[in-house]
Amino acid sequence: MSAPEKRPHVLVVDDEEQIRRALRSILTARGYDVALAASGAEAIECSLNRLPDLMILDVAMPEMTGIEVCRELRNWFEGPILMLSVISGDTDIVAALDTGADDYLTKPFSTSELLARIRALLRRTASRVTPPPTIHAGDLEIDIARRTVKRAGQEIELTRMEFDILSYLAQNADRVLTSRMILEKVWGPEYAEDAQTLRVHVSHLRKKIEPHPSSPRHILTETGVGFRFASSEPSD
Amino acid sequence: MIGAGCMHILRYLAKRHGYFFAAASVLTATAAFLPGRDHFARAQWALLYLLVVGLVAGLAGVRPALGAAGLAFLLWNFFFLPPHNTFAVHDSKDWLSLFVFLVVAVAMGTQTGRLREREAEALAREREMAMLNQFSARLVSDSSISDIAQLLMGEVAQITGARSAALLLADEEGNLQEHRSCADDAGELESSVLCIAQWAQAHSKGVGLPPITRRSDTDAAGWPISVDHVQAGASTHREDLFIPLQTIDRLEGILYVGQRSSGGPYRVSDVRPLVAVANQTAAFLERKRLQAASVQADALREADRLKSTLISSVSHELKTPIASITATIGNLAEQDVEWDKDKAAHELASVQEDLDRLNSSINALLDLARLESAAWEPRREWYDLADVVWAAHSRIPQKQRSRIQVSLPEALPMVFVDVTQMARALENLLANALIYGPPDSAVLLGASVEEGAFRVWVEDEGPGIRPEERERIFEKFYRGRSSSQSTPGTGLGLAVAREVIRFHGGRIWVEDVGPRGARFVISVPTEGTPGPL
Repeated sequence: MSAPEKRPHVLVVDDEEQIRRALRSILTARGYDVALAASGAEAIECSLNRLPDLMILDVAMPEMTGIEVCRELRNWFEGPILMLSVISGDTDIVAALDTGADDYLTKPFSTSELLARIRALLRRTASRVTPPPTIHAGDLEIDIARRTVKRAGQEIELTRMEFDILSYLAQNADRVLTSRMILEKVWGPEYAEDAQTLRVHVSHLRKKIEPHPSSPRHILTETGVGFRFASSEPSD
Repeated sequence: MIGAGCMHILRYLAKRHGYFFAAASVLTATAAFLPGRDHFARAQWALLYLLVVGLVAGLAGVRPALGAAGLAFLLWNFFFLPPHNTFAVHDSKDWLSLFVFLVVAVAMGTQTGRLREREAEALAREREMAMLNQFSARLVSDSSISDIAQLLMGEVAQITGARSAALLLADEEGNLQEHRSCADDAGELESSVLCIAQWAQAHSKGVGLPPITRRSDTDAAGWPISVDHVQAGASTHREDLFIPLQTIDRLEGILYVGQRSSGGPYRVSDVRPLVAVANQTAAFLERKRLQAASVQADALREADRLKSTLISSVSHELKTPIASITATIGNLAEQDVEWDKDKAAHELASVQEDLDRLNSSINALLDLARLESAAWEPRREWYDLADVVWAAHSRIPQKQRSRIQVSLPEALPMVFVDVTQMARALENLLANALIYGPPDSAVLLGASVEEGAFRVWVEDEGPGIRPEERERIFEKFYRGRSSSQSTPGTGLGLAVAREVIRFHGGRIWVEDVGPRGARFVISVPTEGTPGPL
């Protein structure tokens, strides 16, 4: 990656020194401008001094946890937040995403995966404009305004719920949406806990839009967390 | 028939009201003798009186017989020795007769009465022995404590006719717990009973047992030391019993026997079988306790064995990759060698592999810790079976993932599982297949749904599993024969998988696939479809 004109400023927040060191070396080598913070309080202090373009935030920290930091930041910080966790499907990760984090990674993660996530998050903020009224993904064409979905030019009939789920996911492509977020958006806040119902609807939806419903390409499951809409074919 | 009935009543009277029976017999006899006073000589009346004394002795025992002898002595003197109807005696020869009569009557009453008492005692002993034999036979058979408590309550009721009874057993902290009680009103035990029972337990003494006297040493041996109710803290005199269930080194509990329904204090002969039963029960309870302790000790030994196997297995699994990483990194860091880019990348790829291995060992360890705590209770919900399969797939390190060929039917149903556990079980099967298959060989991951169950299988091209090992490979720390010391793995993966499948009520097994390789199959029953939405 050639150094861009304005190097993106990334703030890494982790109480473990080894992780901070590793992330600094990975990111500075790729031309990012890296700042480090060892605690939540320090992170808030740093970001007030200089607003980062992206923040990498560890969930499990003593004193102020990642969730608390995230909640605090979201009062005034609009940039992307990438959470780090040790356990996959951790309830803390779900809580962090619910309070406004954009994505998460489970330790140990590979460097390539980390960089891919960072690029995706920065790309999305760079192009933060009103999402287009029609979203294309593979052979799928979702017309938000007319509430129609076409697969390879053929219109597909979806129920109201199925369309709402699909359009919400597609409008937030490449971003993890927790079950709670989708349920609140589509069903209303009083249904926020019913992840099981959501999974059943997603299963039906996949049977209609996916070429191979048992090997989904569009709606990917983040086990224990929620769903992610893949705008392009997955790399692996 | 009438004679037998009369005899029965006489026996009853003699047993329950001995002195009354003695007096009545002598008086009735006198009334019967009086009309014929002049037909026989006075000495002959004396013989008849002796007969009556003998009868009383035979039916009522020594003391009533002595009473009868005294009364007969007086009445014979009063009615049959001249002058009649006074106690005065004229003839000096009659003094001798009187004296002889008294001696003979007392001697006969004593002897006959003793004989009768011995006989009664022997009968009672025989009954006791029979009852104890029966009781101990039940104790030897493998009964539970509550069975025995019930049996004991039955015996106590039968022996004593007590109004209420209870078995109070010491728990681990030494507090008395009521195990079984039988009572007229079936209510709870009075608090005063519990107070005295606690005192008895604290002091290892009986309360309210009659003192043992004139008994042989064999009787005294099992007889508990006992104190008065008032000494044990009761406010008034009572008539109930607290018999300690004492073994050599411990007091197992207290047998409480309420006052008898007919009233009156318990006698030694009533309490003796109770003490015997209590001693046997104590021995039974001790045996039960020791048995439980030995089972616990066995479990601890097994846990110890597992722990030491774990430490040797895991320390190898953790140390090997660390040693390898240290060596590789150290090598790369050496200044004296020019590393070309490809060579360095190759070295680093092996570091990556070691790290993946380290990570999976740590996960296996965490699984084991969860398995052994209650934290591994499955939380089942409805999930798309495809999501479960892909979740397992995504947990395999990226480099290895390309070897896995996933072949799923077009669509899979929703299944009711704990997704984290099920994905872990499948991940373990995949990881095994990747290790045991030859390098770069393919691993097949498939799923299907049949009537009432779903199946997921993992197929490798490895050496397969010998038939005699197909059960054992699912045991903790068992490593298949084909695995050498250098094959990575903690020996926990399949054990964890089996445990997970067991929690889900399913089955896991391994079968051969031709020409070579093993197929691990899980089959889990499906339970309907998700409810109304």
